[in-house]
Amino acid sequence: MRIAVVVFPGSNCDVDLYEALHSVCHADVEYVSHYQKSLDGFDAVMLPGGFSYGDYLRAGAIARFTNIMPAIIAMADAGKPVFGTCNGFQILTEAGLLPGALKPNDSQQFICKNVPLEVVNSETVFTNQYQKHERISLPIAHADGSYYADEQTLNRLERNNQIVFRYAEENPNGSLHNIAGITNERGNVLGMMPHPERAVELLLGNTDGLRLFESLLENGRVKAEA
Amino acid sequence: MTNVRIFVTYKPSVFDPQGETIKEAIQSLGHDEVTAVKAGKFFDVTLTATGEDVARAVKEIADQLLVNFNMETYTYQVMEEA
Repeated sequence: MRIAVVVFPGSNCDVDLYEALHSVCHADVEYVSHYQKSLDGFDAVMLPGGFSYGDYLRAGAIARFTNIMPAIIAMADAGKPVFGTCNGFQILTEAGLLPGALKPNDSQQFICKNVPLEVVNSETVFTNQYQKHERISLPIAHADGSYYADEQTLNRLERNNQIVFRYAEENPNGSLHNIAGITNERGNVLGMMPHPERAVELLLGNTDGLRLFESLLENGRVKAEA
Repeated sequence: MTNVRIFVTYKPSVFDPQGETIKEAIQSLGHDEVTAVKAGKFFDVTLTATGEDVARAVKEIADQLLVNFNMETYTYQVMEEA
């Protein structure tokens, strides 16, 4: 499985994402610049955290207009895994690949800490190595992470099992339905505010994010063998 | 040339934490008569278009970029047309 990590101007978690896959998981991973127009030869694409285009207008709003975006949308449409963390999640919602939007945190503050999460759906390509209802902890680091969608959309997310991660115990940012991460209806596009790539080694003090990458790679292995 | 001011705000149903915080600050100045504040942003846009073309252009710009209709809405004013 060959994985692309897209680098936008203002991305700052691209190296974390790359190293989680490369150094820790020994995966076949490559940086792809936002200038590129193609993702040919890649089996999955990941959008890192950061502040693409300085969060001008709205977080993720301008990255939608980069050269690489049509190729990301084509991969999503083809059913291939597309993942976005933090700013990557914001970009996926702005691009219409995921429903809803990310608003500024209710507290109006940038929040950076480990938060308890519940794995709500462990049957996605990104979460098959977790247990359903398992309690994990992952770091968040964002100012605009309050998930918002209208009632109809929220009901649809609940009904289709598209809510993958929920904030457990406390809701740090005002997200509706305590949403920390969702997929599209088909389940191949995941966006989440927490940073699994910052929790992949004991040295980092937390390894709860590792299984997200292992899920994706395991899924790729199963597919390759089939 | 036409100058247009486009105002973008949250939909009434969406909680506006910035407006809420500003309201509390205003009240702490002693202005108890202030009961609500909504924050938003505006864009001054200069176009070569005039007349109905302005309305069409503003709608497209708002729909495709300036407004996230999941949570926001907009109005606009034509400031001057020359």
